[in-house]
Amino acid sequence: MTTAARSGTDTELIAHLLRRAGFGATWEELQAAGDLGYQGTLDLLFNPGDPESMPQDIIRRYHPDQSITQIAPSSGSVWMYRMSTTKTPFEEKIALFWHRIFATGQTKLIQGKVMLTQIEMFRQFGLGSFRDLLVQLSQNPAMILWLDNQDNHKGNINENYGREILELFAMGVGNYSEEDIKECSRAFTGWTIANMPYMSIKMRNNTLRPYGYVAWQYQFDADDHDDGEKTFLGETGNFNGDDIIDIICKNPATPRFIARHLYHHFIADELPVPQWPFEGPKDPEAIELMVDAYFANDYSIGAMLRAVFESDMFKSEATQYARIKSPVELVVGTLRLAGGFDWPTADIFKATAACGFMGQALLAPVSVEGWMGGDDWISTGSMVQRINFASATVGDPTKKGIKSIIDQISDRHPRGLVTPKALVDECLELAGSLRVEDETKEGIVTYAREQGDIDPRTDDGVDKIVSVLQLIVSTREYQLV
Amino acid sequence: MATETGARLGLEYRDTNGFGAAQGGRGYYLPVDLAVRSDGRIYVLSRGDAIQGGNGIKITDIDHNWFEEISRRGTAPGQFISATAIAFDASDRLFMADEALHRITIFDADHNYESHWGTEGSGKGEFDGPSGIAFDRDGNLLVVDDKNQRIQRYTPDGKYLNSFGSAGDGNGEFSFPWGVTVAPNSDIYVADWRNDRIQRFSHEGKFIDAFGTTGAGEGQFNRPANVAVDADGNIFVADWGNQRVQAFDKDWNFQTSIRGAGELSKWAAEYIDANADEKEARSTFDPYPELDVDDPHEVSARTEPYFWDPVSIALYDDTRILILETGRHRFQVYEKV
Repeated sequence: MTTAARSGTDTELIAHLLRRAGFGATWEELQAAGDLGYQGTLDLLFNPGDPESMPQDIIRRYHPDQSITQIAPSSGSVWMYRMSTTKTPFEEKIALFWHRIFATGQTKLIQGKVMLTQIEMFRQFGLGSFRDLLVQLSQNPAMILWLDNQDNHKGNINENYGREILELFAMGVGNYSEEDIKECSRAFTGWTIANMPYMSIKMRNNTLRPYGYVAWQYQFDADDHDDGEKTFLGETGNFNGDDIIDIICKNPATPRFIARHLYHHFIADELPVPQWPFEGPKDPEAIELMVDAYFANDYSIGAMLRAVFESDMFKSEATQYARIKSPVELVVGTLRLAGGFDWPTADIFKATAACGFMGQALLAPVSVEGWMGGDDWISTGSMVQRINFASATVGDPTKKGIKSIIDQISDRHPRGLVTPKALVDECLELAGSLRVEDETKEGIVTYAREQGDIDPRTDDGVDKIVSVLQLIVSTREYQLV
Repeated sequence: MATETGARLGLEYRDTNGFGAAQGGRGYYLPVDLAVRSDGRIYVLSRGDAIQGGNGIKITDIDHNWFEEISRRGTAPGQFISATAIAFDASDRLFMADEALHRITIFDADHNYESHWGTEGSGKGEFDGPSGIAFDRDGNLLVVDDKNQRIQRYTPDGKYLNSFGSAGDGNGEFSFPWGVTVAPNSDIYVADWRNDRIQRFSHEGKFIDAFGTTGAGEGQFNRPANVAVDADGNIFVADWGNQRVQAFDKDWNFQTSIRGAGELSKWAAEYIDANADEKEARSTFDPYPELDVDDPHEVSARTEPYFWDPVSIALYDDTRILILETGRHRFQVYEKV
């Protein structure tokens, strides 16, 4: 049945929202969202239902390696299934955001199970109170071993975590002293994992022997906790780690720092983080909007983002297509456009690997600073990878998402022939209400014109529709979100 | 259900056999099935993954002797991509199912590749993901045709005979069945995986009964993967999703449930002894730490002695059962008491 397309502006705005708060929407998803309107769609994002993603039992049976997630391709693929099949992609986008900020890597930890537990924690706490999230993070076994807090002892501190929670995770350089780092580290002594000596050496020796990895369990060791008096950011007391987090969260530097990250991830590309102490934010008003929402809503990350998504700034033309898609956004968005996965397949490994080839290996950030993003995503090599992956993925007319586009075009033209311009317009619309520059569009239309009018009911017509889709996902604009 | 009589059957832990061998050699890596040959040798189907080695059929015995490994990952004759099950015929020929290649491979009693058969499809004699296999009393092979939701019966050389079952949750219907076993009395038991139950059929494939509901209580299952039946008709179910094994008498009266108690095997102990730093660190290892999770998969991931993805059960001289765990690359030996 042919369904009339919704009028431009609303649909394009919703498409913009769903590209930022998710991985882009298919034409069918946009129609459903259109019934709710922009505000209704936004409300649904913050009150998601069941993800209905590929069930874990199915994944584990047919990919036993993805049950124990010993190696990075396996654990990365578990997440890739979730992202490419979920009905609640905002959860995944938030998890991806925190994975980028609280960058933890299987490269050091060796086992993937604890990484996926951390990602699940981001899903659960990522939109809630930043205080709760920091407590969870500080007790997260993957983070503890990533930043060596198991070696942070009473009377013999290791300041790695104490430094990074201030520098990279919550406040940013310039908002604390070296003495604050030491006092912070003292407060986190005793925050460790069960069986630390054995777990730690198995990680260091990179050995699954004798029986694979044992996933880690957080444990507070009161005997190893420094309960003495500490002075941190001007306050004095017998602080434990959660007291330190309270002090961090009420400091105005914290929401400003997090807001800038949110801006970079959800609004527009910012400068690389190392430049932030020296260069102000791109849009100070947007930062203040989020800071106000943070303090007015008990440090809620969700409230910060809702304020953004409801703002005219976010809806403006200038904000749309203002970010370069990260590799994961590109890969997942393209997979979802093509219909995702109905059943476990070896193709999942290719998708997971593709992210790595483009510069964003899931669960393996390049350093503790995470990925810089922005222009860093683009190089000659990564562009080839991006275009090849997207083009190959939409180039298969048997994939249900692509078949759906072909069927829609066919339904809209019951008499057969589709003109080149109509074909390009409809492909752009059906691929998620995409917009390209006039010059780009003219180039695609010129290509389509060389093919002549097409009949979508023929194999030749299908090939030509697919070739136009391949051109669309190869454009500069498709690299943007 | 019949009334329970007599003393309950118990299962006592006796031993652990195995060692994580992702790079191949002595040990297993992501094993999915095991079978005991007529001479007592134990064959473990080590499926492995697409990235590392460690794949093949590994051969050991109840005393931890290591013999050899046969087959490996690949598409050539005698190789596999996603092997799911193994079974011996009466002549000790070894049959192996592969759900990716949709075929049954046969090795002779000396482990030489003999032949293979099977093609992908949904018609008679075709497969969509063969998983469990077992020989019936006539020496014909029952193949769980997983995604076609049926059990097919073949002669050993691959000639289609008949089939039973279809998609659904009614009597005799399946939802992605996994393991199959033939009891000493010739009844056929199928792990009806996504229906969370075990179904029992006559030798001819006629439905007898179904047992189990979804859950974690006694007599409930969470995605049962496999089943074994001893000479007395006692039934042992690999309750895969609940990370445990449950035992029932022949009338489905609950007998016992075990969670696993794995210790260092002979091979594992040799490894630890040879690595002083790990040996020292392990000397303070508490295998049962206090946990803040209750999901069985997560609990098993954090508790080394527990079963992690118990996938297959084999009887050994009818006094012991061998419980294979995909996640811990080993099998645990329990004795019936």
